[in-house]
Amino acid sequence: MSETVLDVRDLEAGYEPGVPIVRGASITVRKSEIVVVLGPNGAGKSSFIKAIAGLVPITGGTVLLDGKDITAAPAHTMVRLGLAFVPQTENIFQLMSVEDNLKVACGILERREIPARIDEMYAAFPDLMRQRRTAAGNLSGGQRQMLAVARALIVHPKVLVLDEPSAGLSPKFVSMVFEMLAGIRKSGVTILLVEQNAKAALAIGDRAYVLVEGKDRHEGIASELWNDPVVAELYLGQRPSHASKGGVA
Amino acid sequence: MSLQFVIDGLLTGSMIGLGAIGVTLTYSILRFSNFAHGDFMAWGTYATLAVVSAIGATFGKVAPIAPLSFGWPLLVALVVGMAFTALLALLLDRVLFSRLRSQGQAIIVVMASFGASMALRSLLEFTFTSRPTYFSRAIQIAMPVGFGIRITPDQIALLLLTAVLVLGVHLLMTRTQTGRAMQALSQNAALARIVGIDVASVVRVTWIIGGALACVAGVMIGILVQIRPFMGFDMLLPMFAAAILGGIGSIPGAVLGGLIIGLAEAGAVQLIGAEWRAAVSFIILMAVLFVRPIGLFGVRER
Repeated sequence: MSETVLDVRDLEAGYEPGVPIVRGASITVRKSEIVVVLGPNGAGKSSFIKAIAGLVPITGGTVLLDGKDITAAPAHTMVRLGLAFVPQTENIFQLMSVEDNLKVACGILERREIPARIDEMYAAFPDLMRQRRTAAGNLSGGQRQMLAVARALIVHPKVLVLDEPSAGLSPKFVSMVFEMLAGIRKSGVTILLVEQNAKAALAIGDRAYVLVEGKDRHEGIASELWNDPVVAELYLGQRPSHASKGGVA
Repeated sequence: MSLQFVIDGLLTGSMIGLGAIGVTLTYSILRFSNFAHGDFMAWGTYATLAVVSAIGATFGKVAPIAPLSFGWPLLVALVVGMAFTALLALLLDRVLFSRLRSQGQAIIVVMASFGASMALRSLLEFTFTSRPTYFSRAIQIAMPVGFGIRITPDQIALLLLTAVLVLGVHLLMTRTQTGRAMQALSQNAALARIVGIDVASVVRVTWIIGGALACVAGVMIGILVQIRPFMGFDMLLPMFAAAILGGIGSIPGAVLGGLIIGLAEAGAVQLIGAEWRAAVSFIILMAVLFVRPIGLFGVRER
């Protein structure tokens, strides 16, 4: 078994004191793995992943990154600690050019390293190269996700954390985004993502957790979870595929 | 009609524009209208005046740099005054604005800035009295440059200084990591934190730039007109008009807005009479906003 990159233990988090949304969730992510967190609507998936990224107040538990305690570190220090987060919406600076979106994320890199790093991103995402001078707000939905992911990868994160990368995308772009994530993992990047679109996420994932009512209730190999009866039960008697069609009863 | 109003308008416009840069940055990055910005101008000017006096008392009378009306003491004092004004802005943010900002109600911060404005102004009146004062009482001879226009060496120097400062700030905003971080924060504060931008340090830079430029604008008024405790407050409405006219958040917009308002005011004085001076800038402001509500250089979100 390869080394653990991200280790989340008994995490409790919520916006208001005394009203936890995440209630003791634990997961581990190993090096070069894609780990998927699934769960019905309102299970606290998004809050869980935002708490890890320092965006939702943590009231209990620990988050270890490469063995280092990063629990409740301020959000702006996360990239320096090695965790790059891609929010679900508004994840690019719309009025800035594609290139400036990449540059503005390079704050922790050495100045002389930046041009080469941007070129590497252009090599990996040729679409962005072609649109480098375009205002990011004018990109298509798929290209926006591409830019958001490139912006996160540019700082060599130890783990790339994504909140529902397929949200709001047309089916064509959904498959494009998941192919992109599978390709990124091949290059050795560790990925943790939360997804509503269970089928597509399990197809590229290595392992998956099912989060229900703010707690991890089930864990398994991604490819096996699809037919796992426990998962179906956790989704209130439905197969997770139905959940992907915009909500579970 | 004489074209002299062009020079007068450009000069007034430069003062308004330099001040409007601070207004537009505060508005777009900290998301509130800082009514104390005019009083930063006045405080910066009095601080500069105090340093000039202190240098005069230490080194005796210093000859002006011909053909200008002022010598090196004013230049040194201006730099000190800019630093002082930047510190004043940082201090006011620390003790007042940042605490209120964290509670998340913009209107409370705006009202607080109104209170701070009155307090700062009263302190100046208390300390220096409301009697106008001057950097120099020497009279400069205006040189004819054709088309019936006359300009003094001081005016040329200050127009050049404005151009250099505006270009510098524009390059800072568009070419440096600090500038990009400021743009990022004004567009999407949550994402700015996620990509690793330290909001507190960007806020500090914003106050430093705004405060330092307010001081320069104030000293320009002091050199070309006079120094009074109300000098900055009287500029407040034209500065806001310029910032809105140019499009909130845009440095070139704020400066262009300032120049338009300065020229319109000067032209109005000549064409319809001095009592219309203040009204004209607002008629232009309303006309532009009617056609283009986001201002000249403003950008529509999404």
